[in-house]
Amino acid sequence: MRELTFVEAAREGLAEEMEKDPTIFVVGEGVGARGGNFNTTTGLYALYGPERLRDTPISERGFTTLCTGAAMAGARPVVDWMFLDFGVDAMGDLIHQTAMIQWMSGGRLKMPVLLRGCIGALGSAAAHHSGNYYPLFMHIPGFRVVVPTTPYDAKGLIKTAIRSDDPVLFLEHRGVLTNKGPVPEEEYLIPFGEAAIVHEGNDVTIVAIAYMVNHALKVSEQLADEGVSAEVIDPRTLVPLDIDTILESVHKTGRLLIVDEDFAPCGAGAEITAQVVDRAFDDLDAPIRRLNGASTPSPYSLPLEAAVLPNPATIAQAVRDLLME
Amino acid sequence: MAKKTGADLSKDQMLALYRQMLVIRRCEEQLVRSYQAGLIYGACHTYIGEEAIATGVCAHLRVDDAVLSTHRGHGHALSKGVSPRELIAELYGRATGCSGGRGGSMHLFKPEVGLLGTSGIVAASILLGAGAAYTFRLLKTDRVSVSFFSDGAVNNGAFHEGINLATAWGLPVIFVCENNLYATEVPFSEATRNPSVASRAQAYGLPGVEVDGNDVLAVYEAAGEAVRRARSGEGPTLLECKTYRTRPHAEGMRDAGYRTKEEVEEWKARGPIKRFKERLLDDEVATQQELNQIDAAVKAIIQEAHEFAQNSPMPDPATVLDHVYSTP
Amino acid sequence: MAFEVVMPRLGWSMKVGSLVEWYKKDGEFVQEGEILFTAEGEKAIQEVEALESGILRIPPDSPQPGKEISVGTVLAYLVQPDEPAPFETAAPPPPATSVEQPAIVVPPSSTSGSPSRGARRERPASKPAVSPRARRLAAELGIDWTALQGSGRTGRIVERDVRQAAQEGEKEKEAKVKVSPVARRMAEAAGIDLAELAAQKAGEKIKREDVEAVIAAREAAAAPPPPTPPVGQAVPVTHIRRLIAQRMVESAHTTAPLTLTTEADATELVALRERLKATLGPRGKVVPTYNDLIVKLTGLALQEHPLLNASWKDGEIVILADINIGTAVDTAAGLLVPVIRDVPAKSIQQIAEEARALAEKARARQLAPDDMQGGTFTITNLGTYNVDAFTPIINLPECAILGVGRIVSRPAVWNDEVVPRKMVALSLTFDHRVVDGGPAARFLNTVREYVEQPYLWLVA
Repeated sequence: MRELTFVEAAREGLAEEMEKDPTIFVVGEGVGARGGNFNTTTGLYALYGPERLRDTPISERGFTTLCTGAAMAGARPVVDWMFLDFGVDAMGDLIHQTAMIQWMSGGRLKMPVLLRGCIGALGSAAAHHSGNYYPLFMHIPGFRVVVPTTPYDAKGLIKTAIRSDDPVLFLEHRGVLTNKGPVPEEEYLIPFGEAAIVHEGNDVTIVAIAYMVNHALKVSEQLADEGVSAEVIDPRTLVPLDIDTILESVHKTGRLLIVDEDFAPCGAGAEITAQVVDRAFDDLDAPIRRLNGASTPSPYSLPLEAAVLPNPATIAQAVRDLLME
Repeated sequence: MAKKTGADLSKDQMLALYRQMLVIRRCEEQLVRSYQAGLIYGACHTYIGEEAIATGVCAHLRVDDAVLSTHRGHGHALSKGVSPRELIAELYGRATGCSGGRGGSMHLFKPEVGLLGTSGIVAASILLGAGAAYTFRLLKTDRVSVSFFSDGAVNNGAFHEGINLATAWGLPVIFVCENNLYATEVPFSEATRNPSVASRAQAYGLPGVEVDGNDVLAVYEAAGEAVRRARSGEGPTLLECKTYRTRPHAEGMRDAGYRTKEEVEEWKARGPIKRFKERLLDDEVATQQELNQIDAAVKAIIQEAHEFAQNSPMPDPATVLDHVYSTP
Repeated sequence: MAFEVVMPRLGWSMKVGSLVEWYKKDGEFVQEGEILFTAEGEKAIQEVEALESGILRIPPDSPQPGKEISVGTVLAYLVQPDEPAPFETAAPPPPATSVEQPAIVVPPSSTSGSPSRGARRERPASKPAVSPRARRLAAELGIDWTALQGSGRTGRIVERDVRQAAQEGEKEKEAKVKVSPVARRMAEAAGIDLAELAAQKAGEKIKREDVEAVIAAREAAAAPPPPTPPVGQAVPVTHIRRLIAQRMVESAHTTAPLTLTTEADATELVALRERLKATLGPRGKVVPTYNDLIVKLTGLALQEHPLLNASWKDGEIVILADINIGTAVDTAAGLLVPVIRDVPAKSIQQIAEEARALAEKARARQLAPDDMQGGTFTITNLGTYNVDAFTPIINLPECAILGVGRIVSRPAVWNDEVVPRKMVALSLTFDHRVVDGGPAARFLNTVREYVEQPYLWLVA
């Protein structure tokens, strides 16, 4: 099977949908002729022109809320924030308009807007270009939150996201943009709410989010040499969350470690922990552990940045510690 | 014999404008009474004194055009096609309200007639209206959208970003600023050093028109041009309609401290309905008797609407989780 | 001091790139701000300005245009007039400034969010900590977890502790069983539960042959049913098949078979067996099957009707002295009929034990010819296949065969009421050469009586 990078796969998904549906248009800084800072729209401007690949001034609240209005009036906008860090400028309207309009109108107005941007710390991008923040959106009723890791997932999920009538956060960790993997030629979609078991095992369950999946897979191979069989689960979508797959795994292994670059308090791991304790209490052989990035803004200097992020060594040690419990 | 008026409207059209303003007025008066009787929860911001603006602008709109508005949106809702029954029922929290009892006064929705929503957040309407306009153009229609907002919104980032984007992209939207001189209790003169909202248009490159917001014919004429521009692809317009709300910011709030009784009385004397009625009679467009008939008819409609709302059922709590997502 | 011209980082995550073209020549003076060269990065070719003024000196080993090089690689130098280029002097060139990441020794990052573990309260020894999973497992396995020592880091009792305790318990139980060392090893290897086997052996020491028999029985039972021959294809006949065919044809052509059927109310028989099961089972004794009971009662009935225990031989009828009853057993290899000799003289218990042993042998294909000879009457039971009445074929040189159907609840009249009773169909095929319908029917009636009123056996 042919292999694509994450970026190519996501772009192919977007291109396929744009070809089918003329109401889809992309809005963002540099998404026009330039093709997007992260090559999200390369080649599309030549096909569809400025009306559907719309360059914007730096006005995230402005164009995000504008797209909210466009979505409820019958179009399917894609808001390309480049960095999620920029997109949170629109937070007020995202909560009050984007997330609430479907409910307030009793379902008569739909909100088919895709909100995408890069997340995560990489290469000393530092405090204002390294955020994750997805729990903010997990928390507000009305949003779907998608965090793919593989090219296969990127394409299948972006198509589902574009076709969804809900507002969807499509968050792409910069560390996975260069992930390469098999992508079928034939069209396929991945539904929301289906986690992927990326490595099967019996001794411990590791739920990893975004770039942490890359690390967790390395760790699972390393641990196999130590005689530890780890099951690695990539939730792929945080809302809706496939808690059943995680519960089945915990039923098997009895031990759960959640690895998430984002901050621990009220994070995705906290939510998963609460649900697992609620429904699989008697399956637990040890406390549930979370390994998160440190609760600080993202540092610039390399040793500082490295110190705040989970890495394969710390993940492996966390697994060993958990097995001791 | 009827004289021709400045706006070259027929008698029927003029009486329609009069009637529409009266529907808004009587409906709001009913809501004031209901609020005081405890039938309405939460906030109720009445449109009394500003009727000419909603009436004059929406007279040019089709059902498939869009209106976005603010917490003071009853007038826009009624003018766009929400019935008094649906409006009153919504404020009484009933299932028959235009938002099914989910929204109340500040979150009115009726997409079926193009009311894409009123919002409790100031200035959001500016951006949402521009967005709807983007879609109308993308879908190759000649539909337009109107964003209503007040002086309180013009110093918000959304005003700047929204008007700039709409102008840069030439969107078919009309921005209507209802400058009633106060944002809650903050006088406009203290919120900014430039008393003219219309003059800001120049900074963004779109036409800015100042209108006497209490003269329904003047509003009608200015809005007509703005709607024509938008429909023919000439882009957005900023209309500043000078007006005044003669009741407190919201029902239940005191009106003292930030403005004088004299000021209120002065503006009441210049109220839109009073002025238009005088003009209709002076220009012999209608007789007192005809106007009384319209009066009585409107009163009856509002009374019936109030009774309808009172007899309507409450929404079923079992439905409260519906429509958080489009599919569960 | 020579200024180093390096491969610049042109994109955020750029690590490698290439030189495209020099805009100035070696030895040429360059003004700060002039375009010095073009380089290709992640996305596009970019012009690179000189950051200082000076004379451009390109070393002979400078990377060629087009070659992929790391960001930070020195391409050239800008020197002052009369200043030699670093590669021209004897002194070693200054080390290239590299932007390689220093090796980072990362202190283990704390698993943020976990409570300070030192502050855990001391648990009383009488109430050890136990994980919910371990508790659940202990309940399932019947282990008292409160008596266990926990291997968790904090002394918590966890799953592995419970599993270990359960295993040790099993070993203990097995240790109480009398079993030869060879048999124990074989059983462990084959995964046979010695405790269960011991119960069957009624306290006797388990020997190698016992374990072998179980293994063989398992294999035979696990053997798939013989595949049906493919449609349209002729398949060679096995030895057993040939034998069966021969005997069946002989019987059909030689005898004058007639089948009588009746229905017996087996409710009392069923109740009897249930009681036997409840009593004998816990004592470790073999519980008689329905077949065993029917063998016994048939033996009693034959005593009263000796004509059915006869044989046609060269035109003469011989009433046989012994009553040896064969029971048809369906094996993977085909139909086999092991014989229990002298049925009336044996107790039901003895019959049960013998029948079991023979059945195992049959399934393990270890029946000796001796085991299958000398029969005077045959019983065949198709109850397990939900058959009621049928027409069994006489097993020559015998003169009759009893077919037993399934025991099934049916409505029957009992004390003038319609109630469910356990009914069983009995089918008797007899050789009319040897015996007439009347005597045959009377025999069958006796069999029926004995099925319906087992207490009669006591006085038979």
